[in-house]
Amino acid sequence: MDDLIKLLKTVELFEGLSDEQLRRLAEISREERYERGDEIFAQGDEGDKVYIIRRGQVEVVIDRRSGAPRSQIYLGQGQIFGEMALVDMGPRSATVRCIRDGTVLDVIKRGDFIRLCEEDTAIGYIVMRNMAADLSFKLRHYNLAQY
Amino acid sequence: MIYKVSYVVIGGEHPGAIMNQTNMPQVGDHVEIGNRVFEITEVHEVMPPRGDFQFLHATVRPLPDGDAEAGGKTEKEKGE
Repeated sequence: MDDLIKLLKTVELFEGLSDEQLRRLAEISREERYERGDEIFAQGDEGDKVYIIRRGQVEVVIDRRSGAPRSQIYLGQGQIFGEMALVDMGPRSATVRCIRDGTVLDVIKRGDFIRLCEEDTAIGYIVMRNMAADLSFKLRHYNLAQY
Repeated sequence: MIYKVSYVVIGGEHPGAIMNQTNMPQVGDHVEIGNRVFEITEVHEVMPPRGDFQFLHATVRPLPDGDAEAGGKTEKEKGE
């Protein structure tokens, strides 16, 4: 558990949380492992989990119905994906595939996360603030990549 | 310090990447994105640091196949 807490401290999503708050988050996170080529979820799927990349890389691909599916971004260690399902409860907006053998993800179910936030609203505030900052960073990346 | 880096590929269709690393990226370093290796050509701060995190933007150019061994080190190599 101590190793997981140490690891969670390196993830921006959890920046500002105390060790005790990180311990509670670690208790509701579950490890998943993927190999290159594995699909983690598909565009249009129902989404009820947020994913944190502990090790490895994933590719985010969007099928716009006109033309071939297009790669949107690669995400590496410490990044989160699937967070939109936590916020808007809509279907997955993209397909995410593993592109590195031995990729390790920490996965948190929406229901578990919401329950934890209701019990400790400070966790909810900090994580949601950090999630907004992460979305902002992704938008900045996307804008810069257009030029 | 943890560096959260937005890597943007100059030219072409590659969408780039975002990743965290423990070493400050430097011009000339190599970075692996997917199954390709890129060389960093420019680095600047995107926004002020927060906590233990610093937020950077780096432009990169693809290395020709076979050039991955030349020049700078990747983040993985720096950690070894």
